[in-house]
Amino acid sequence: MNVLAFIPDRSESSKVLPLKAEEEAVFPFGLGQKGLHECAEKNYGDMSALTGFVLANIEPKSAILWVKQYKFVQEHGRALPSGVELFNNKKSHWMHVVVSKPIDALWAIEEGLKSSALDLVIGEVEEADFTATRRLKLASERYGVPVVLLMPHTREGISACDARWRINSQPSAFNSYDAKALGSPCWRVVLERCRSAPSRAGEAFNLEYDDEALSLRVAPYVATGSVAPQEISSVKGQTEKIRQNG
Amino acid sequence: MRRKKSRQLKDKPKKSGKTVKRIPFVLVEKGRHGIEVVAANEAAQSRNIYSGLAFTDARARTPDLVFEEIDRVADRNALQKLADWMVRFSPRVSTDGNDAIVMEITGLDHLFGGEAKLMERIRACLQTNGYISQIAIAGTFGAANALARYRINIGDVFVSQLGHEKQDLADLSVKALRLSDKTVQLLRKFGLTRIDQLYGLDRKALTRRFASREAADAVVLRLDQALGIRHEPIKPVIAEPEWAMRMSCPEPVAAQDGVEYALDHLLSQLCHKLDMHGVGARDFCLYAFGVDGKCSHISASSASAVRDANHIRRLLKEHVETINPGFGIDLFMLSAARIEGLDHDAKPLAADMVGGFDEEAFIRLADRLAVRLGEKAVQMPIFHESHVPERSESFSQFATHLMEARSLSRAMGPRPLRMFEMPEHVEVMAEVPDGPPARLIWRRVMRKIVRADGPERIAPEWWKLSEKGARARDYYRIEDEEGCRYWIYRHGLYDDNRGGPPQWYMHGVFA
Repeated sequence: MNVLAFIPDRSESSKVLPLKAEEEAVFPFGLGQKGLHECAEKNYGDMSALTGFVLANIEPKSAILWVKQYKFVQEHGRALPSGVELFNNKKSHWMHVVVSKPIDALWAIEEGLKSSALDLVIGEVEEADFTATRRLKLASERYGVPVVLLMPHTREGISACDARWRINSQPSAFNSYDAKALGSPCWRVVLERCRSAPSRAGEAFNLEYDDEALSLRVAPYVATGSVAPQEISSVKGQTEKIRQNG
Repeated sequence: MRRKKSRQLKDKPKKSGKTVKRIPFVLVEKGRHGIEVVAANEAAQSRNIYSGLAFTDARARTPDLVFEEIDRVADRNALQKLADWMVRFSPRVSTDGNDAIVMEITGLDHLFGGEAKLMERIRACLQTNGYISQIAIAGTFGAANALARYRINIGDVFVSQLGHEKQDLADLSVKALRLSDKTVQLLRKFGLTRIDQLYGLDRKALTRRFASREAADAVVLRLDQALGIRHEPIKPVIAEPEWAMRMSCPEPVAAQDGVEYALDHLLSQLCHKLDMHGVGARDFCLYAFGVDGKCSHISASSASAVRDANHIRRLLKEHVETINPGFGIDLFMLSAARIEGLDHDAKPLAADMVGGFDEEAFIRLADRLAVRLGEKAVQMPIFHESHVPERSESFSQFATHLMEARSLSRAMGPRPLRMFEMPEHVEVMAEVPDGPPARLIWRRVMRKIVRADGPERIAPEWWKLSEKGARARDYYRIEDEEGCRYWIYRHGLYDDNRGGPPQWYMHGVFA
């Protein structure tokens, strides 16, 4: 009978345990692990870079709900399964929901959070006001399922999210086999706001995605402190930390 | 034993009341030769006004004739609604023409205390709703139809004893056999006006007299159908449920919570029954039959077989407010369809023990999303053996049997993270032979290409008919000055002689 004692209660086990303070304060500040994160385009057309950044950060999940407004499908296309596999090579179970109105998308996200069937919800939503984001944040915390919202470049204003990221595409890394060809994708990511580490808000990260090791790394030319415009001078120190933390 | 019942409705003079009945009233329609009478009430018929008569003649016979234009669409809809409601008596109900309903009552008359009592009950039910009916019961659909329309008068009922169709039909006009006017006219020319005259005729001789084979076949077919020599199935208005539970209310239910109580009650009964048989169902439908001759229903589907009452209740409750009790509901029916075997299985104690994926909860979520957002909204990726990108990976409606399908592991070039539904045409400013363009305009913005690799050539699938004359595609991965990475292709080769110069298209965006 003692065996039963080792089996965790189901309702508890499905919850993601809160990260420790020091874990929360490092990159990526809980993106795809905990709470509600918003990722917005910097310029129109950065949606694909944004999707790549999110998928690169999430750890392999078993069941993912991807809610999208049809407007995003029209403007930026759909995430192609074989393209997604480059970022997340675990064979996850995907459920895609396409709706036309933001309110339906938000409802579907909330329903997904409550379902106890998912590890992550990704939402492509045009807009979400404070009340809507607050609802999602509370549901996310209560049921222990992280939410990532992919939003257009027009996203501004108040929100209850844990962090808001702004991403734009950067020229790809040098391809050592063919100088004229494309290398690994690079993005410039700005952490606009962050609840777990408010002092870090405004920091910028130049990231390169290594599609062989399936991990993010700081773009080398930033690490050596050469070119690349920076918004805040502390990025150099920050990059060292990211390296240490993997 | 198969018993069919046909009923003809004379509901035209709807303003019931004895004074109205005596006023001659007709419905008219514009015909080929001017305005014609298409329906007449009893008072009008007694003055020798019948359907098909020119309206001017009818007016001449009865100057104080009341008339109105017929609304056939409304008639058809009303008949359809009535047929839906008649499902309360028998699961197999169908409309017949524009003015009759046919019902299969084989094996269910004893539930109502015999055929005569059933007929009386139906007649009374229809009368309270303002319909005057002619009802006949016979062993075949053809015979019931002929007897209801031609044997009896308005408001009467008729039961043809089993096997007596031949005698009962004998002295009816051949019109009763559902033949076209032309065929009836032709039969009359041969001196064949009554059905019994057809009984003794040699089939071959009869066929030879007709100019067209179809007309001859129609006579023989209709006669055989009426006599039960040939089978004639009816097409029910609702798919026959495999499992159904009924609940009749002693007092008509007029409140919303009554409907919800009925749903709960029926669900627990149905789920218990499904459980006993070790099966589950995928489609559920709740019918509410009103006392006022109206029937409304709500339905829900699941992506997999289910018999969990809570889950089904949640799906059906999404639309429960669309059931309008009206003057009260006196019968509820809950039906289940698409029955599949569903074994009892022990659930793991913790989700962690099955790798963290709870398939059942996942499917239930899909059901809940589909019932609110529409079945087409919930999708999953599917894969096909094809090299054409839009064909090899696409999205289809969520279904459990697709959950095992996995992407095809085969060598192919780089694929973008996001692909457009339809490739978008791009204007090329500086074309480079055998390479990607140096500049292009896409979505009205000029983009200078700084890096590129490719091509990956994808040839059309010539073995498909739809691909006839299709052109090969050369895909390139390009990057512009801003650092955006695109997937473009040249549609056609320069010298393939398949239409003009090749065009360029944007097909996706890389991360």
